[in-house]
Amino acid sequence: MVALRFLRALSLVRCSGPGARSPSYRARGIRRAAYACMAASAGPRRAWSRALLRKIRRRPGRGLRRPRAVIRRRRPVGGGDPLEVALRRLVPGGGCMEYCRLLEEAADYVKCLAMQVRLMQTIVDSASHVNSID
Amino acid sequence: MEPPRSSGVGIDNSGEYSPEIAETLRFEEEIQSLIHPSSFDGSAAPTGGGSFTALLGLPANQAVELLHDSGAREPLASRIRVGEHPVHRPFHLPLDCSSAFPSNATLVDRAARFSVFAAEGSPASSSGRLKAEPQDSDSPPLDPIPTGPAKRKDTGRSKCDVRLSLSFKSQAKVTAKKSKNAEENTDGDKLPYVHVRARRGQATDNHSLAERARREKINARMKLLQELVPGCSKITGTALVLDEIINHVQTLQRQVEFLSMRLAAVNPRIDFSSLDSYLSAECGPVTVRNGPGGVVVDPSLWPTDATAEATRRLLVPQFWHIDLVPPQLQPQQSLTTWERDGAAHSQLLPNPTTSLFLYDPANSGDTNVPHRTAKLKTAEDRALNL
Repeated sequence: MVALRFLRALSLVRCSGPGARSPSYRARGIRRAAYACMAASAGPRRAWSRALLRKIRRRPGRGLRRPRAVIRRRRPVGGGDPLEVALRRLVPGGGCMEYCRLLEEAADYVKCLAMQVRLMQTIVDSASHVNSID
Repeated sequence: MEPPRSSGVGIDNSGEYSPEIAETLRFEEEIQSLIHPSSFDGSAAPTGGGSFTALLGLPANQAVELLHDSGAREPLASRIRVGEHPVHRPFHLPLDCSSAFPSNATLVDRAARFSVFAAEGSPASSSGRLKAEPQDSDSPPLDPIPTGPAKRKDTGRSKCDVRLSLSFKSQAKVTAKKSKNAEENTDGDKLPYVHVRARRGQATDNHSLAERARREKINARMKLLQELVPGCSKITGTALVLDEIINHVQTLQRQVEFLSMRLAAVNPRIDFSSLDSYLSAECGPVTVRNGPGGVVVDPSLWPTDATAEATRRLLVPQFWHIDLVPPQLQPQQSLTTWERDGAAHSQLLPNPTTSLFLYDPANSGDTNVPHRTAKLKTAEDRALNL
């Protein structure tokens, strides 16, 4: 699932400007694509995927204000435990959740991240392997 | 007399019971000395085992009521009712009960705190009943006496003993105030019927119940996380585990960054469109099988393999297809594949506004981009249900 989306996104990045853009720019685009694919494949049921997509989409869609306004902060964070705070910062959308929910989302996030990393690693390996054959 | 005997037993016996039982024993002694029910025959078995069961009788019932589910309520009730009968039986207490009751002052203190025993004021008859009862009730686990009531008590008692040991262990965590509250709550109602799954000595008011449930939830999630993060199962302690989890997440994020850099550096002469068709052909049947929701875990294995295979297959024969395709064609291409997928799965998202972006193109300054993204949006909606 993620593979499909990601490869398609990759192709888009490639075709958009192979010569025009610097590799660093492309790298950033690829990174954003990776996160977007990850969030998209996770589905809208996950708070972290929604928050991640919102963050990614904020650049182009800044002008549009959706009528369906999401209540951003349901409950302010207690912020006592530094570990908890760090985890909230790492997990997308982690600022507004309860601790219990945060742990749940963190687990799912870790799972999807690991899958994404594996996917990218595979692509890089096969691509570089193929390149080295030439 | 009971007390000296039981004290003797407390020291002599070597048993499997936790020290807390000793304190309840001791306290029971005091209760008995205070109450002195008429059922107390001279022929009462004079062993510490007997006193143990007697002592256990009162706390046992209280604890049992605390611990048992509603299912056990009937045996309890029956037991209580039945208990009236054996009141006049000789106070035979099984000698088999081997329990270790190390004399421990702190245990006695803890026993004193139990308002169960504070409820010794709960009529002497009841305690008499309860006392007489345990002789039958305790015997089943120790020395099965198949009487009618005892049979019913059997199921309850075996559970009771197990949970008793559990509860006694959990007492270590309980503060005095809480235990008092708990017991007072239980005793505030009609005698000791508490239909809450509360451990012995733990508070049963709503707040603490909710807190306990929340704590258990959090612990369960932490366990999940521990399993997910490699090398976390051995670590004990919440702080270290959290630390490890945070490190792992940071590592993964750094890896994504690094790999994206590498991917950008890789020669972009790769034909992804054919890759897409190959993968979608594979993805289609699998995702349909999986259903809309849980596609994350199962396909985690095959996409990477399929990806590797696909890339190798397509790239090794050096079927280089430089993407000189003009940008306008690209979205149509992807659109067609999306539509193919959508048709295959025959699922349409009703609300196009809930679209999830596939990818925000790097050159957003391009005029074609808005079109592309719009088309991708609708395509994504359809593909979302995959």
